[in-house]
Amino acid sequence: MMPAIDPRYDARKKRARVAMFIGAGATVVSSALSGTRFSGWQWAPWVLGISLIIVFYAISMNSREGLRMRRGTSGTTGLGGRGRGAGDRPDGVAAYRWHGLVMVSRMMPGAAGRRWLAEAQSVLWEIADSRRAPAVRSYLLSGPRLAAVMWAHEALRWVRPGPRHPR
Amino acid sequence: MGLRLTVQVQLVLQALLRDPAREMYGLELSEETGLQPGTAYPILLRLEHEGWVTSRWEDVDPRAEKRPARRYYRLTAGGAVQASAALAGARRPKGVALRHLAEGDGVA
Repeated sequence: MMPAIDPRYDARKKRARVAMFIGAGATVVSSALSGTRFSGWQWAPWVLGISLIIVFYAISMNSREGLRMRRGTSGTTGLGGRGRGAGDRPDGVAAYRWHGLVMVSRMMPGAAGRRWLAEAQSVLWEIADSRRAPAVRSYLLSGPRLAAVMWAHEALRWVRPGPRHPR
Repeated sequence: MGLRLTVQVQLVLQALLRDPAREMYGLELSEETGLQPGTAYPILLRLEHEGWVTSRWEDVDPRAEKRPARRYYRLTAGGAVQASAALAGARRPKGVALRHLAEGDGVA
């Protein structure tokens, strides 16, 4: 019915991407603040930062492609709505502003984003044509705020001591 | 973190409390409350985080049904009690607020 995707894989990958992006950004900013005249080894953070950004994009693009291939684009039209790849775009009515919804879902933590997108797709599939546009708009408008809340929850889950981080 | 009983949250709780044992899916809830689905979803998620609501994916074959699976929501036993108590203590949304909601955000 649905291609099996390990949500933990997606979450790990996303965290790694975010960490690399923040690391690269911090390197670039810190070296920019320390002055623009390079002397001695001051050029090193710049080179490292730019290299990391290039690596980040390369890995990001590569993993997206890999994930899409693992999901398979034929036969899985995303009727179940769990996928977020371009190949999972539904045919017919629910395709309305699909790309916008996918973009917003990508702002959310992996599993939460997939669930949000699947639910949006399920509702938009059945909703009356006259109500579809405002419904999509409501999803698009509430999505970014929801993403912020979800990331805050995710961060709290990682920061809080619990079974995962016993002290 | 406590749950803030906004007018929208009250509408969702009222809809779920009409028959606490009944499962409702997103579109159904949206139609019952007059809220847009994009507005109702974060509320349902918050209620689920608080343990008032439980949800599950419908167990159907989307190809056979020719539609995606629905996500069904239902009040938990504790959630039903808490929701009733919270609604009883909450300030009732005024008619003006509800009309405004229906015009601005609802399904009309």
